[in-house]
Amino acid sequence: MSLLTAMWTFPLAAAAFCLAAGRFGRSTARAAALAVSIVYFALSLWLLRPFVASAGQAVLVVSGRPLAFGVSYLLSADGLSAALIALTAFLNLLCVLASWKLDVSAGYWAAFQALAAALAGVFLARDLFFFYVFWEATLIPMFFIVGIWGSDNRRHAAVKFFLFTFAGSILMLLALIAAVVAHHGLTGVWTWDLKALLGTEFGAAAPWIFLGLVVGFGVKIPIVPLHTWLPDAHTEAPAAGSVMLAGVMLKMGLYGLIRVAFPLLPGITVAWAPYMALVAGVGTVYGALCAMAQTDLKRLIAYSSIAHLGFCLLGLVSLTAVGLAGGSLQMINHGITTGALFFLVGFLYERGHKRGLSDFGGLVKRAPVFSFFFGFAVFASIGLPGLNGFVGEFMCLSGIAISQAPIYAVVGCVGVTLAAAYLLPAYQSVFWAPEGPGSVSDHVDDLDAREKGILWTLCALMLWIGLAPHAWLQVLEPSIRGLVK
Amino acid sequence: MTAAQIPMTAWLLFIAPVTAILIGFFVLRPLKPEWTHWPILISCAIVTLCAFSLTARVYSGRGSFDVNFWRWAAAGDWAIDFGLRIDGPGTAVLSMVALVGSLIHVYAAGYMEGDPGFSRFFLVFHLFFLAMIGLLTANNYVQLYLFWEMVGVASYLLIGFWLHKESARKAALKAFLTNRVGDFGFLLALLLILVNFHVAHFHLLYVVIGSQLAHGQIPSSLPLIGLLLIWAACAKSAQFPLYFWLPDAMEGPTPTSALMHAATMVTAGVFLLIRSWPLIAAVPYLPHLIAGIGAFTAVFAALLAATKRDLKRILAYSTVSHLGLMMLALGMGDITLAIFHLIVHGFFKAALFLCAGNIGHAVHKPTVDVDEVGGWAKALPATYVVFWICALSLAGIWPMAGFYSKDAIIDFAREGGGWIAWAAPLISFGSAFYIFRMLLLTFHGDRPEQNRLQKHPHEAGPMMVVPIAFLAVGAALVGWIAPALSRLVATGWIGLPVGLAGMTGVLNLPGNVSLPALSVRDMFSLGGGMAALGAASAYYLTMIDAGFDWRWRKAKPGTDAAFDADLGWKTLVAAFASGVAAFARVTGRVFDKGVWDGLIESGAEAFYDVSDGLATFAQGRLNDALWWMAAGALLILGMAIR
Repeated sequence: MSLLTAMWTFPLAAAAFCLAAGRFGRSTARAAALAVSIVYFALSLWLLRPFVASAGQAVLVVSGRPLAFGVSYLLSADGLSAALIALTAFLNLLCVLASWKLDVSAGYWAAFQALAAALAGVFLARDLFFFYVFWEATLIPMFFIVGIWGSDNRRHAAVKFFLFTFAGSILMLLALIAAVVAHHGLTGVWTWDLKALLGTEFGAAAPWIFLGLVVGFGVKIPIVPLHTWLPDAHTEAPAAGSVMLAGVMLKMGLYGLIRVAFPLLPGITVAWAPYMALVAGVGTVYGALCAMAQTDLKRLIAYSSIAHLGFCLLGLVSLTAVGLAGGSLQMINHGITTGALFFLVGFLYERGHKRGLSDFGGLVKRAPVFSFFFGFAVFASIGLPGLNGFVGEFMCLSGIAISQAPIYAVVGCVGVTLAAAYLLPAYQSVFWAPEGPGSVSDHVDDLDAREKGILWTLCALMLWIGLAPHAWLQVLEPSIRGLVK
Repeated sequence: MTAAQIPMTAWLLFIAPVTAILIGFFVLRPLKPEWTHWPILISCAIVTLCAFSLTARVYSGRGSFDVNFWRWAAAGDWAIDFGLRIDGPGTAVLSMVALVGSLIHVYAAGYMEGDPGFSRFFLVFHLFFLAMIGLLTANNYVQLYLFWEMVGVASYLLIGFWLHKESARKAALKAFLTNRVGDFGFLLALLLILVNFHVAHFHLLYVVIGSQLAHGQIPSSLPLIGLLLIWAACAKSAQFPLYFWLPDAMEGPTPTSALMHAATMVTAGVFLLIRSWPLIAAVPYLPHLIAGIGAFTAVFAALLAATKRDLKRILAYSTVSHLGLMMLALGMGDITLAIFHLIVHGFFKAALFLCAGNIGHAVHKPTVDVDEVGGWAKALPATYVVFWICALSLAGIWPMAGFYSKDAIIDFAREGGGWIAWAAPLISFGSAFYIFRMLLLTFHGDRPEQNRLQKHPHEAGPMMVVPIAFLAVGAALVGWIAPALSRLVATGWIGLPVGLAGMTGVLNLPGNVSLPALSVRDMFSLGGGMAALGAASAYYLTMIDAGFDWRWRKAKPGTDAAFDADLGWKTLVAAFASGVAAFARVTGRVFDKGVWDGLIESGAEAFYDVSDGLATFAQGRLNDALWWMAAGALLILGMAIR
């Protein structure tokens, strides 16, 4: 079995293994989950290795026999896929560690492994049918993670998340079918092979196919009018669920744009780029304004994701090397930074069972290490130069300023400015301000060794990418080279 | 020159502080927090020595360099390299920052002793210092922006150092967000520079712009870039309209204020404009704009400083005013003069802040009002002497250093003509007035209105007296470096990169990189005269008519309040800030949650309702099914017949 196939079958088997281990008790399942996620992370680094060695030039391919209806089993990895899978495996491992003290059934651990399997499939599939199947498959474990192990309003959030994103995926499926049918009409060949479909002249159907894809992917990103599932789902999910949601699942939408929508319809992409840039720019400011209005810490971070993903989208639709590379890097960055923030909010919730900004106060005295890490992640999220967030934002804005009118960069800069205006006051009121009435700060102990380890890893990555992004960009850049206008 | 040839002294500027911070953070903070300052003080000494050594090399004409050593990021044909630029303007400011900054570090070791946050303070304090060193040696805009933001973060953490105080938290937030608003201009300017010229490297940019100017064309994006850079500088260097964060920033521990006002923060904006000078000078009206902003801010802040009561607040407005003078000098095209005043100001302002710190130390309060102290000349003799020297220097009275730098600016402005010529003597008068008012109210006389907090104040220990004595020596004597400074800046600025020398004329670089020769006759100049008049007025209103300050405040509470609100500007800014917050609340709570999400959710509910309604037709009853079958059959029959 090739490495690429192993990338999604291994976690799937691991999910079954966790369930089986659950028969011997909850802690056995937990230990099993830890073991498999360590192995999976090692596997993902093994996958990433040739791309680092060759500065992203390598490409790994698996092509199976054609199945029915032009569907064939095709997998391929380039720097972007490998990096996103490494991110998935990395966050998956941290999620297992972060959930260590939860008293949950084996299903919880299995769901995370299954999610990793589906995500890896999305990032590897080069056959659109398989792409769609993996895409939808990600919904199932996440539906259970939110619906079963979420907080008070979890049922509502899970159903909303499922229906919302499912509706988007249906549009995407219709668009994919339309593309395949149109290709058959022109050539008489049924194929779902992405490579074979590239270069097809879709004619009048092209805008509709593109629209279907953009809306389908856009729900996932999410772009602004289609975003309202996100705050609910992120807020109600358990901490690790939010991390996977924000850290990896949102990136599926952007990945879909880079991998499927843009290459399939390059003409429309160029023509629509200004409108997409407008949507992205509005999204950054709108997300930031909404975040400013939040009183729930987790909801605030959820809205900040909308703003940050707006930057990524701005970079991608610039269709310049710097914007696309910056957008890709920002996908990784956002996973690390927002992942860290969601972990920290999760730790806070575990201790105090509250998430409101006014439910805490004075934590800097009670939990100095906690507040150090939170502050670090906040500054990374604000886009402080020297940390990872700045690199991505700056490159995205450079890209959009080069390719479109600088007015988009102006809008983006407003978003950058506002980021401080929602994160710092929230940070101050939780960590610096004295405790108010009804504060649960008393229950908040400082981070233990396991939690510190998680945060040290994430913060070290933030600093590393911030100071030396070049090596990371070299892995990602060859993947997007073909999209440059 | 290649990266391998960069002298060790330049590397040490970074290696020493980074090592000190790492040792402090990872080793001493957990084990021995009260020793955190030791590696940091050693690092200060190393940095100061290296800075002077580099300055000497540049001065000798052999030591300027500009080298890239690190590819930061690249994609396609877009690339940003990091490097080091050691040149005249950079080393001139660097040596002052290193020396003054180090003295403040020593003072802080005494001032902060016993504070529970001692080690946190020193780590962030040194980070602040490191950020400024990086800013002064950056060789491109991206790198400059990196350290610029680092300065902002360090200042945020220091202003908000006493986290338990609401005023400190608010001031920190205000400082950071205001600077962020300024950074908006910097970031946008940076993007526009990259879009239009494809380089962020200072030297390459000068070459590109120089060659375009040589063909007689001003790049069309240049005016906007210049404006945005000026906007950024207005935030960092506390110029109108963005000056208002600085007076509140005194909420931090006093050494922070000293470092921020003298060396590490507010000078960054002026330095940005010095670095950008070839860009700005290429657009004819931008220098005039800078001069105008500077002159207005200087007069405005001097007026406000004369009405404030808090010692540190008076000094803060004084800083705003003096930064205005630097901007004025810069706007008139004299880089060296701006740097000269920046250096002189660094010495006397650091010393004055630390004097205010000593006064606060004597009454065990972080901030002190002029009403709360008085007649303390005997109680705090060392502080008193230092304060006198620095006040004279600040007021620009011969032979103190301030005389040389300030008077040169005022003379220069007078030659320039226009309304700025009239602003200059006003500034002289104003600054002498407010500093002597502060001096006399604090140390002299006996006023019944003064409610003295402490009956028996005492002088601080040597850690807090020796550094200010050194600073006072500087405040008295650095005026004499003027000729050397002229040569240093000229050597480093013109002689550095290949081609720049020939470009001087094209770029409209400042004609006078050498300072005007000064002679004793200048002591009777207009500036000196106005300063004497200001000091005399202050003497009259504090010593002869001793209760004046209290009387007018009581008699005219409305005027007092107006001055308190900076003549309404603070009120406007606060209204703007709360407007943005209200808009965000409406967007986030009312629109996004209520209207838009509500619409989507009610759409989903309506869908349920409809399907519930439809479900009555499909409840699996045989009767229903038969009826539907009959209806369907009829329909088909009808269609077939027709």
